[in-house]
Amino acid sequence: MLSELDSLKTAALAALEAAQDESALEAVRVNFLGKKGSVTALSQGMKDVPVEQKKEVGAKLNEVRTAITEGIDTKKLALQAAQDAKAVEGIDITLPGRPGAGVGALHPLTQIRDLAIRTLRRMGFALAEGPEIETEWHCFDALNTPADHPARNEKDTFYLPDGRLLRTHTSSVQVRTMEAAKALPIRIIAPGAAYRRDEIDATHLSVFNQLEGLYVNQDVSLGDLKGTLEYFFREIFGVGTAVRFRPHFFPFTEPSFEIDVKLEAKGKDARWIEIAGCGMVDPAVFAEINKARGDNLFDPETTTGFAFGLGLDRLAMIMHGITDIRHLIENDVRFLQQFAA
Amino acid sequence: MQVSLSWLSTHLDLSSYTLPQLSDLLTFAGVEVEGIEERGVASDKVVVAQIQSFEQHPNADKLSVCQVDDGSGTPRQIVCGAKNFKAGDKVPLALPGAVLPGGFAIKEGKLRGVDSMGMLCSGKELGIGEDTGGLLIMAADSPVGTPFNKLYPADVLFDLEITPNRSDLLSHLGLARELAALTGLPLTGERHHANASTKAEAAAEDQIVIKTAEACPFYTARIIKGVKVGPSPEWLRRRLESIGLRPINSIVDITNYVMMEMGQSLHCFDLDKLSGGIVVRMAAEGEKFLALDGQTYALLTDDLVIADGQRPVAIGGVMGGEETGVTDGTVNVLLESAYFAPSGIRRTSRRLGLSSDSSYRFERGIDPQQVQGGSELATKLILEIAGGSAEDVVQTAGAAPALVGEVTLDENRARRLLGTPDLTGDEIHGILTKLGLTLKSASKDESHWIIPSYRLDLQRSVDLAEEIARVIGLDRVPSRQVAVASPVDAADRTYDFAMGLRQSLASRGFFEAQTLRLIADAQLADSLGGGQGVAVKNPLSEDHTTLRPSIVPGLIATAALNIRQGLHRLRFFELGRVFLTLPKGGSREEERLAVLLSGPVSPTSWHGREPQAADIHELVGQIQNLTRTPLEVRPAKENAANFLLTSELRAGNRVLGWIAQMHPARAREINARHPVYVAELLLSALRQGSAGPTKFEELPRFPGMTRDVAMEVPADLAHAKVAAFFAAQKHPLFVGAEVFDVFADPSGTKMAKDRKSIAWTLTYRSAEKTLETAEVDAAHTAILTALEKSLPATVRR
Repeated sequence: MLSELDSLKTAALAALEAAQDESALEAVRVNFLGKKGSVTALSQGMKDVPVEQKKEVGAKLNEVRTAITEGIDTKKLALQAAQDAKAVEGIDITLPGRPGAGVGALHPLTQIRDLAIRTLRRMGFALAEGPEIETEWHCFDALNTPADHPARNEKDTFYLPDGRLLRTHTSSVQVRTMEAAKALPIRIIAPGAAYRRDEIDATHLSVFNQLEGLYVNQDVSLGDLKGTLEYFFREIFGVGTAVRFRPHFFPFTEPSFEIDVKLEAKGKDARWIEIAGCGMVDPAVFAEINKARGDNLFDPETTTGFAFGLGLDRLAMIMHGITDIRHLIENDVRFLQQFAA
Repeated sequence: MQVSLSWLSTHLDLSSYTLPQLSDLLTFAGVEVEGIEERGVASDKVVVAQIQSFEQHPNADKLSVCQVDDGSGTPRQIVCGAKNFKAGDKVPLALPGAVLPGGFAIKEGKLRGVDSMGMLCSGKELGIGEDTGGLLIMAADSPVGTPFNKLYPADVLFDLEITPNRSDLLSHLGLARELAALTGLPLTGERHHANASTKAEAAAEDQIVIKTAEACPFYTARIIKGVKVGPSPEWLRRRLESIGLRPINSIVDITNYVMMEMGQSLHCFDLDKLSGGIVVRMAAEGEKFLALDGQTYALLTDDLVIADGQRPVAIGGVMGGEETGVTDGTVNVLLESAYFAPSGIRRTSRRLGLSSDSSYRFERGIDPQQVQGGSELATKLILEIAGGSAEDVVQTAGAAPALVGEVTLDENRARRLLGTPDLTGDEIHGILTKLGLTLKSASKDESHWIIPSYRLDLQRSVDLAEEIARVIGLDRVPSRQVAVASPVDAADRTYDFAMGLRQSLASRGFFEAQTLRLIADAQLADSLGGGQGVAVKNPLSEDHTTLRPSIVPGLIATAALNIRQGLHRLRFFELGRVFLTLPKGGSREEERLAVLLSGPVSPTSWHGREPQAADIHELVGQIQNLTRTPLEVRPAKENAANFLLTSELRAGNRVLGWIAQMHPARAREINARHPVYVAELLLSALRQGSAGPTKFEELPRFPGMTRDVAMEVPADLAHAKVAAFFAAQKHPLFVGAEVFDVFADPSGTKMAKDRKSIAWTLTYRSAEKTLETAEVDAAHTAILTALEKSLPATVRR
């Protein structure tokens, strides 16, 4: 019996060795360990084994059964491993990935606007908005722009037949905001489209994008204007960016400045680039708003404020080195996909 | 405005300033320097030479060998490529050692084997003119050997942008005055002071009469007789040419010179062509006027004219008349110097599209106190240059208006506005004084100032604060930042919501477009949503006539552009404003999101050369994913010409927007290779569905069970009808149903043409326990029975 068991073990291990797949392996299991398997058959013969040999034969039987079971398990793992290895055979991992739905992109103007908005929100500015079809009062009169001002004519400004116009700047949102304000302070930014009757060329669009800012409170000073905008432009262009304020003129601010930042163009010396206009809100604007509101919330004696405006199209062009503003409205995918973040 | 440095230097000595310093000085005074151009040569080594003889170069057809007299007594040989000269001509000669504009250094050398001891120059090479195709031939009386820069002094030309509030800077004297204030340099030239010494005499009614004092409060005339009109002397011609003005004749040139010198615009009439005295009046309706530019203008009653006894002879302050202008034959002149009110000039100049250096100054405002000074300076120059004799008196009508007065400065307020608490009273007084203001009186923190007549922009305390800021500059102002907490309002929420949509679409392969809001009439037919746009009264071109009622037209144009570039898989969206004319007048603006989709569902790649082209369900699915609410697609009864399959998208009772397929005929026009699908959604409706924080729903504790059902229905039974049936089922164990197969056979072989097979999976679940099969079967049977009763469906059992 012992020798029979030994030879069964040898036969089983040889069969395992020869098995090339799961089913062959299963056949080995059935042949040896199954209900009618040869090991099972021998184990049924245990009852005929003399008592003094029972221990030895029993141990042998267990040894053979364990050896075959382990052999099956080991072979199973080996077969699985071989199969797993085969599954990745011939794969060229250097091939391009599947495109999925493809990669889209946000328009560069959206990206710039969002950068500006995120920066200014961190500085406590909330968003505001207003209509693009405006009244002359909101676009000009309330902003201290005289009735015969050069901008107020059909050569430079789009009008509707009913006398309203397409706002020439987002500054009209300043007026809308102050008109509706319940209390001070006001600290808002207003991104939006504006319109000027310019022929479209490499540097002009008849519809363009601006970002307006306004802070009104008691005792807002030129120092606040300077500190705020220096910080803003350094956040946008980098901490070390030089920012300068040149005196200028706008009807609705006094004093007024234009802001330049010093930027390096590729292969050229750094130069001053005009980037924004700003100034302290002219008291005449407050007076006009009060008149419209019928109260004195914006008391010109105690209330001051600063305002600023910048061209987002221009900012995008400067940031990305875009040479022709028309790229921004043509939406050529070859252009847009360069800005896929 | 063009400003000549040498002209400016007649008023103050700027020689201690370099050009970059001067440029900075102007820039920080608020005068933008748009260009700096250096003219002429500073080097003494360019001299006048006379060509004595010349001959053909032995080795080069195009060169001549010239013998020239450079004034040294020794003839000099120069090889020259120009052909426009003859023996005896005087030309500029650059001697060895000279450096020409652009840094070109002249050396002795050989040209094709012949010695050349310098270079004969063209005007362009010397920075004084355009290329005329040869040497600059100088006047015959130019003295040989004289340094060229004695005859053509080197100059620097500034191109300046003067802001509209600073009309006082629109002249060389005005700018010099400003620079003197900023630098502390003394003014050295003529001040053409307000206190003109010529006796003024109120004119008789028949000489000058002002009928409209509002438009012209002050008019003066000086009669000068016996002048001889001719070309202006060299210095005058050069001054005008240096700033880009064309010399005409001595009288006209003098009036232009006075304007550019001191900002007073003048006009000279040929006295003998005037009939009767000067009448300053508004034009008659439709009155015709032939101006100096040769054009005839039809005037209106709010145009100011200068008339004689019979007709208008000038549009006041804008342009003189052709018939009464000074010509070479003019002997007697009437010199006009006046103050015209800005608003009238602006109105007329704009309406007629007629702008002149004169109107430019009057419409910004001139110093009324300089009217007589201008007349006096011009008279003096006319007598010097054109001879004749002037009447002793200048005749006047009206009076120079006082446009500025006294301003009180609240110094503490100025300090607070500027954020410069350390600015002392002395400093403030010093700044204002050097700008020409006179301190009348001062108390502790308040000072009273007399404003000079040329500073029309200084009217209020804040205007003086601005001057202080301008002079001290922002470097002096300490930067400050305050923190202010701003409450989030609707605009913030809308922005964040819109950015979320944008990012979601971009991450799903869509490109964000930004198209112009002004579109062409022809594009309106591409609109989705049915509204009417807002037409502009004065469009610039027929491509941009109307504010868009829909974003889709812009996206279709975007698709067309990209198809032209060979792209056929199109995924675009745009988020922005549309404009709708309201039926009762007025307009409404609203934010929308438009999406355009065409071509393969995924980009082509090595995995599969031709991925399946997207159908309209692809776009519905994209929108479904975006809105994350159950979407109801409700087909419209009619399609606009450019669309098929137009449908309304709804969520409950909210209209979210519209979806459609571009009509194949329209798609062919833009050469689309695949069907093009578009949708336009209302941002506010999309947002309504996402208001407030999401409320958590308990997860089911027991497993659900599913049952599939296949049924045959008429081919035209809309999915929506079946979905509505399931949505209405109230069986307590029924959770919901989803379609998983739709099959139809248009050929009629596998199924009748007018039938289709659809299959749904129904889910059942109880919140209390795990369901028994029998319970689910019972519920399922009940629903299928109801289904066959409500719909023309045959369930396959």
